[in-house]
Amino acid sequence: MPDWSRLRAWLRGARRRADRGRRGVSDAVAGAVAAAVAAAPSTVVDRTRRTAAALGRRFPAVSLALRNLSRQRLRAGLAALGIVIGVFAVVALGMLGTALQTAATEELGGLGNQVIVSPAAESGRESLNSRDLAAIERAAAGRGTVIPLKSTGATVSGGGGRTVAQVYGTTNPRPLFGDAPGVPDYHRQGALVGADVADALDLRAGSQVTIESNTYRVVAVLPPQSSITPLRADSAVVLPPDEFATEEFSQVVVQADSGSDADAVAREVRERLNARERRVSVFSLTSVLDRITEFFALLNGFLLAVAGVSLVVAGVSIFNVMLMTVSERRGEIGVLRAVGIHRDQVLRTLLVEATLLGVAGGVVGVLLGTAGVVLVALNTELPIDAVLVAANALVALGAFAFGATVALVGGLYPAYRAAWEPPVDSLRG
Amino acid sequence: MTGDADADAGAAGVSDVVPPLRLAEVTKRYEGGGGTVTALSDVDFAVGTGEVVAVVGPSGSGKSTMLNLLGLLDDPTEGRVELHGEPVAGRSERERTDVRRETIGFVFQDFHLIPTLSAVENVRLPTAFLPADATDRAVDLLERVGLGERLEHTPDELSGGQKQRVAIARSLINEPDVLLADEPTGNLDRDTGVSVLEEVRAIAAGGVGVVAVTHDDLVTEYADRTVELVDGVLRDA
Repeated sequence: MPDWSRLRAWLRGARRRADRGRRGVSDAVAGAVAAAVAAAPSTVVDRTRRTAAALGRRFPAVSLALRNLSRQRLRAGLAALGIVIGVFAVVALGMLGTALQTAATEELGGLGNQVIVSPAAESGRESLNSRDLAAIERAAAGRGTVIPLKSTGATVSGGGGRTVAQVYGTTNPRPLFGDAPGVPDYHRQGALVGADVADALDLRAGSQVTIESNTYRVVAVLPPQSSITPLRADSAVVLPPDEFATEEFSQVVVQADSGSDADAVAREVRERLNARERRVSVFSLTSVLDRITEFFALLNGFLLAVAGVSLVVAGVSIFNVMLMTVSERRGEIGVLRAVGIHRDQVLRTLLVEATLLGVAGGVVGVLLGTAGVVLVALNTELPIDAVLVAANALVALGAFAFGATVALVGGLYPAYRAAWEPPVDSLRG
Repeated sequence: MTGDADADAGAAGVSDVVPPLRLAEVTKRYEGGGGTVTALSDVDFAVGTGEVVAVVGPSGSGKSTMLNLLGLLDDPTEGRVELHGEPVAGRSERERTDVRRETIGFVFQDFHLIPTLSAVENVRLPTAFLPADATDRAVDLLERVGLGERLEHTPDELSGGQKQRVAIARSLINEPDVLLADEPTGNLDRDTGVSVLEEVRAIAAGGVGVVAVTHDDLVTEYADRTVELVDGVLRDA
């Protein structure tokens, strides 16, 4: 038979001790854990268990929620699976959309930033003079690089063969024709040959090439053009401009720093040169690129919306599972309320429970989705670089956050209903 | 006010100055589909410190309603519930919850233990969201109800009597002034019931007032006083 008067005395002492303890709870918990760990030559398992217990005391809502979830593992797993599928869909479609957009933008390259100025057909002129060039340079000042080009078609022979090529004259070949070993900053002698010309005539750096009875040494072979550009660089030969008889230019290319700069340059060139009569034609693909970008944004939005619907469905399944859970646990929740657990504490525990489903499902969904997109990239022509971009990290983070939020929202009403039900009613249930 | 309380408490057979828990002229009515049901009618009742009171009566006589009112889980339609002489009416839900945790222990017929928690965790459940760790106290209480060897057992690993002892230990974790027991022996065989009731007596000997609602004659044998509820009207048995 227990000695209850001694128990009462002990309880009073314990309450005083607890009151003292409240003043330095975290110290006490940390101290207790440290002491417990130090006191016993414990195994890792023991230490883990003790740490888990200490964490459980520190975060009771999380601890209770985890225990509750472990009760119906299959049901919790299925609810989380809904989130996994939803997050997977958002991540996979979102990342693929971004990757396609990135790949397409890379493919179109600097096209959107190029402004090509050439003589207007109706002006009767076939070239741009130095005054035109000066006006274009003023229009483009601070917005990009101006590259005057001379060009003509010509027959090129060398290495025992001949082919027709577009011959360009410029001192600054890099911005337009790309960089490769041997491509000079300032082109003053020799010929640069495009990849197709080099292939056709079996040319390499150091070879000889003859254009219109003049022989040039090949200083470099231009890199194959990966992006679309109106200059046919692969079938081009680039010479120093002095090799052309004329002093005038067939076109002037402005490589602008950005799409908006290209727009501004195109507008200003028109204003400066076409004010009185239409002297030049100004070609810019910025607006076309804008339309393409808009299309991709629309496509991405549509794909994400479809994926988002599956996440919302997952949210409904969490809602359903939480409703079932709280209705099964009505009595327990009534007991919690009766023994002095506050409504918001019950609510918090249930919300943590729902959110944990979302967090777990979200993590798995993001991992699966990312792995799926990487697999697609590795097995198709989609470049992996287009997948591994910062925007896709945002997609993953956003999908995870959306999954967790959907689960939280799904748990909101059931948790609220359970926590706010008068305990006298829940106890009856 | 105090004088009234004394007089009423005296009428209810309690000699204490201010009873920890008291129902004063309490009436409780429910609006139902078939009209108004009066569950309790003008009930005066008090439980004194260290006193064990058994409340008996047929099903539907209002015993559970009375226990809910005493446990601050429900409000009377008329009359007052007083805690240490102070009326409870007007307190917020938050304050009531705190008062329940600090002054009232609950023991339920079907134990209502949380199945995923061990015996120790169930006992310290009322303190789960408090900063201080009550594990040591919970262990000590379980040892004193004879479950020192069952600390880490979950409810499904315990017998009915053991579960009820865990529930009793839980009700004592915050050193309550009053213990409210709903059919404490309802799910127990006679021998187990006896040992549980002996513990209840011992708790009362430590200064806790006990109100036990019951159908079981055994409980009345262990009570200082038995009152009977018939159709919501309270009278000495």
